[in-house]
Amino acid sequence: MSVYVLEGLRPWVIQRVSAVYIALFILYCLYSLLTADSHDYAAWHGWIYQPLHTTLVGIFVIALLFHAWIGMRDVVLDYVHNIMLRIFVLGLLLGILIGSGLWTFRLLLLAL
Amino acid sequence: MKFRIYRYNPEVDKKPYVQEYELENIEPGMMLLAALLRIKDELDESLSFRRSCGEGVCGSDGMNINGVNGLACITPLDSLKQPVEIRPLPGLPVIRDLIIDMDMFYKQYRAVKPYLVVNDPMPEVELKQTPEQREKLDGLYECVLCACCSTACPSFWWNPDKFLGPAALLQASRFIEDSRDQAFEQRLEDLEGPFKLFRCHTIMNCVQVCPKGLNPTKAIGRIKHRMVTRSL
Repeated sequence: MSVYVLEGLRPWVIQRVSAVYIALFILYCLYSLLTADSHDYAAWHGWIYQPLHTTLVGIFVIALLFHAWIGMRDVVLDYVHNIMLRIFVLGLLLGILIGSGLWTFRLLLLAL
Repeated sequence: MKFRIYRYNPEVDKKPYVQEYELENIEPGMMLLAALLRIKDELDESLSFRRSCGEGVCGSDGMNINGVNGLACITPLDSLKQPVEIRPLPGLPVIRDLIIDMDMFYKQYRAVKPYLVVNDPMPEVELKQTPEQREKLDGLYECVLCACCSTACPSFWWNPDKFLGPAALLQASRFIEDSRDQAFEQRLEDLEGPFKLFRCHTIMNCVQVCPKGLNPTKAIGRIKHRMVTRSL
């Protein structure tokens, strides 16, 4: 595995596309919140486990994970110059993000 | 007029220090370079700095003036707050006083192959361009390689050996956009990877300090746009 997962142009494009999706998704969430009839747990549960919303949330999580990876990777590439330390920090970050992603998808899939 | 100037002679000084000078009889419209030359002539002949043309064409006298990189020869004294703080361009090793070691800057400049690559047999007369093709080079070819932009760029400070820097990337764009060049694909491929081009985070210090009023950030954006359209 390259220590610079995704390399140059691809992460730059993914970062921008994911940012647009995240922004649109947050706006949709705000709209749903403002137009909801009630704001209790049952209403939220009903909203998030509609197939469309589960899919949108799933895509949001993927976009967020990629966006977080690319942003943090950029910080590490800028400031951490020791190659072993860089591999360690990037590996740790990748582990945390993949773990968070798997955990979130487990929650989403459990309800289907 | 008061000046506070960074001094460092590695043969004598253990560490850099700031020396104060005061000049009388400042003439209206006088540039900073003229003041430095007068300090050198009248007050301290050991003060070292680079200069050549004296009119913003050669790019030799780039320095950090009151915290902002610029060319001393085209910086009017009456635009400066006193005391005028003068330091060498940041981010590169100091050879002496205001003179920096620009090897890394030139290494990155050479890395972008700043010349036309033509594989076809050369025509007998010249390589012609239409006025529209020539117009695309405006804002790209005027760079005088003073290094004000690259040494103002935090990404270049952190990775001067890997990130090409705004000056070299402006030159890369200048040849990518040139209709006579035949290495378009290769040039874009050479800029791939996380460091050479993509350490630019659009901070735009380069645009703020360029003494020629150029816009390296826009040129870098244009390269990225070319890369995206090429990959589609």
